[in-house]
Amino acid sequence: MLSDDQVNEIIIEVENVPSGVVPEKTLLNSSLGMVSRISDIDVTDSQSFSCPHDKKSKPLLQFSTSLNESFSQTLHGPGSVGIDTPCTSHENIQGQKLIASLIPMTSRDRIKAIRSQPRTMEEKRNLKKMVDKEKSKQSRRMLELNCCAQCLNSISRVYRRSKTSLSELLNSVSLWQKTLKVIGGKFGTSVLSYFNFLKWILKFNIFSFIVTFSFIIIPQFTVAEKNTLQFTGLEFFTGAGYFGNTVMYYGFYTNSTIRHRNGGASYNMQLAYLFTIGACLIVCFFSLLFSMARYFRNNFINPHIYSRGIAKLIFCWDFTVTHETAVKLKQKNLSTEIRENLSEILQENVKLTLNQQLIRFSAHLAAWVVSTGVAVACCVAVYYLAENNSEFLKNHRDPGAVLLLPFLVSCINLAVPRLYSMFRLVERYEMPRHEVYTLLIRNIFLKISIIGILCYYWLNVVAQAGEECWETLIGQEIYRLLLMDFVFSLADSFLGEFLRRLIGMQFMTSLGLQEFDIARNVLELIYAQTLVWIGTFFCPLLPFIQMITLFIMFYVKNISLMMNFQPPSKAWRASQMMTFFIFLLFFPSFTGVLCTLAITIWRLKPSADCGPFRGLPFFIHSIYGWIDTLSKRPSYLWVVWIYRNLIGSVHFFFILTLIVEGKDKMFLIEKLTKLQDAEKRANTSSFTLERRDVEQPGPLHVGEHDAACDLRFRRSVQEETPKA
Amino acid sequence: MGNKQTVFTHEQLEAYQDCTFFTRKEIMRLFYRYQDLAPQLVPLDYTSCPDVKVPYELIGSMPELKDNPFRQRIAQVFSEDGDGHMTLDNFLDMFSVMSEMAPRDLKAYYAFKIYDFNNDGYICAWDLEQTVTKLTRGELSAEEVSLVCEKVLDEADGDHDGRLSLEDFQNMILRAPDFLSTFHIRI
Repeated sequence: MLSDDQVNEIIIEVENVPSGVVPEKTLLNSSLGMVSRISDIDVTDSQSFSCPHDKKSKPLLQFSTSLNESFSQTLHGPGSVGIDTPCTSHENIQGQKLIASLIPMTSRDRIKAIRSQPRTMEEKRNLKKMVDKEKSKQSRRMLELNCCAQCLNSISRVYRRSKTSLSELLNSVSLWQKTLKVIGGKFGTSVLSYFNFLKWILKFNIFSFIVTFSFIIIPQFTVAEKNTLQFTGLEFFTGAGYFGNTVMYYGFYTNSTIRHRNGGASYNMQLAYLFTIGACLIVCFFSLLFSMARYFRNNFINPHIYSRGIAKLIFCWDFTVTHETAVKLKQKNLSTEIRENLSEILQENVKLTLNQQLIRFSAHLAAWVVSTGVAVACCVAVYYLAENNSEFLKNHRDPGAVLLLPFLVSCINLAVPRLYSMFRLVERYEMPRHEVYTLLIRNIFLKISIIGILCYYWLNVVAQAGEECWETLIGQEIYRLLLMDFVFSLADSFLGEFLRRLIGMQFMTSLGLQEFDIARNVLELIYAQTLVWIGTFFCPLLPFIQMITLFIMFYVKNISLMMNFQPPSKAWRASQMMTFFIFLLFFPSFTGVLCTLAITIWRLKPSADCGPFRGLPFFIHSIYGWIDTLSKRPSYLWVVWIYRNLIGSVHFFFILTLIVEGKDKMFLIEKLTKLQDAEKRANTSSFTLERRDVEQPGPLHVGEHDAACDLRFRRSVQEETPKA
Repeated sequence: MGNKQTVFTHEQLEAYQDCTFFTRKEIMRLFYRYQDLAPQLVPLDYTSCPDVKVPYELIGSMPELKDNPFRQRIAQVFSEDGDGHMTLDNFLDMFSVMSEMAPRDLKAYYAFKIYDFNNDGYICAWDLEQTVTKLTRGELSAEEVSLVCEKVLDEADGDHDGRLSLEDFQNMILRAPDFLSTFHIRI
């Protein structure tokens, strides 16, 4: 299977045909050769149009007929009639080479190649027709030789058709298409990226819910015991009480092998539980891996050659913005940004005195010390409260008291990030994106440490305290945390943002409307999803709850966005940020979840009276027991073999990842070398520019001042780039 | 569901599906959007490949394009004769390139053509001035505009001929990963 760029490059390499009509450009980069060549073809096309016939209608048909003629000529006979004009011969040879390169490709790659051609629809259609004709001729010849290849061909065709119809079906049930279009139209790509991220995480939860519902919850329903507890409304908040005896929590699940008819199929609940959770996590793992690879491939950028320059502002206009007022606002913001960019170049190489540098450094140091200190203090507070919570609860019989810990955690998550944002008043950064990254890192550290300390508490204290059904207790804690988080988010959107709008519009109009803080919101999503992944083992209904939560959050955030926010004033670099967030979702979030669950399954003792693993010394012993029973049955020895030799060995996973990522890695290496070549060229060019500028004291139409800033600008570009 | 549509023959629809990044359903939806622009002009039966062009004024009034500063250039680049009047093929082509499935090189090629106002195959200083003016809508003064153009040429002109070739443009786009997501019109 060829990657996109490889497909394009195949077409290119074939097209290095010297042109008799259009002067040739030497091309350094073969991938660009394609598009340059195509523009050459367009030029020759127009020339051939004016050439012999000068017909206005269907000039492209001429191109295709001449292609056809020449192709059939070369195929069917030597000594064929010579081509009439030099311009048509050029395009004929080009077309022939293109067709010849397309024929040996698989149909999937061929379609990809045809779609990526920068030609008009008519040309692409004719190209496809010709390639299909040639292909059918060849396959007719091959019919006698290889019947099996025909079978494979038709199978692949059927598979491709079913895949397209499946994707059509999925697209037809695609959620929120119109809403996302409106959001993009009014606020642009950057805010849209948050909502796309939310939608993507929702898909994880939908999948997890479907899997757990089918394989664990429904079987459990069939052997459900009656729930003897009373239902009061408070259970929605505490998750305890009535809910403790439902399919919601681990403790309710039976450890038996469910059998409904004598001699009928049996359903081992222990294995089902482990395998279902494992399957969810594995699918999430691969999905994250593939998404990371795809985003990384599209947005791979050597950070050293990241241009802070103005060309990006000019050529990356956001075409998704369609709303009239949004476009006008964006144009105004762009002008402001351009002006800032122009003036930044003046200021940036102002050298700071030693004093000023020291002050800046100490401000940064102080800010980091304070932020780390605050995060550690919060963790200690959380741990202290969690530890004392159990005694506190034993003394106070009030069922709402269990909400104290989640309340504290949510308050921390609400207040401390805003405190971090206020450090901006004290710290000064050279580049605005350093500020964004620093803020992100601090927030991530805070959230990870809170989750970490909670997991430590749950696994080391709760699990080993000898309580009955500690898994259910942990499940209830996680449910409460998520619910409190949701309530706080709702309050923030309905009250906080609304109040901020009132203040901005009525009282202190200089503030104006606020801008949507994408980073903070995405981090909140990642935090919640981490909790869900951890909690699915203890509370299998959690993906369902998170599904509903995310659904509601989408609409709430959407309404709040339309009412209380203005479009972003600065470019946000959405794609790089998204790559970073997806990477964050994978590591440390998902890997942390895997570690926690691994510790649970391998090291902890299940509770003795409840759940599917009651009585076992460790959770993993259910698998060991199953492998043992299987090894006694001769027909299933292959499973045992797989278990012992593949899953048991760690190397397997590394090899798998390598194979899966193999072609992407090759692509990345090629791209890296290309970028480095481009880099070297840019470097040498900036060198020559500077030398040229030194010789001429100033360009003609700008003053001396600007000449000086040109020099400084070039020097700054160089300073940014030499490390590549 | 089902193949009951009578607008296109099966082969036509299949060809469209293979030559654009759209599925059958999306192609039909796009056809109806095209037809809605000029219901008197566009027949509901394309099996005979009618030669119909929707004038630029109607294309430019589509909600997805009407406030875009570059709508005229977009229509000119994708239209057959460069005048902005588009056939259905051009229409599908345009939205296919601007969709999110199109690869970066293809988008970069067409973006280059859009920003090349005088169609000479290079983005020269005059083209840049036009671009900047359209982007900022008269907010910048003339000196600021020419300063911006100069800076852009400084940054991106690799072969120092005072204008951007397609190769320079491609190199610059490589350093701007946002390009792929911003050069996108959702329909």
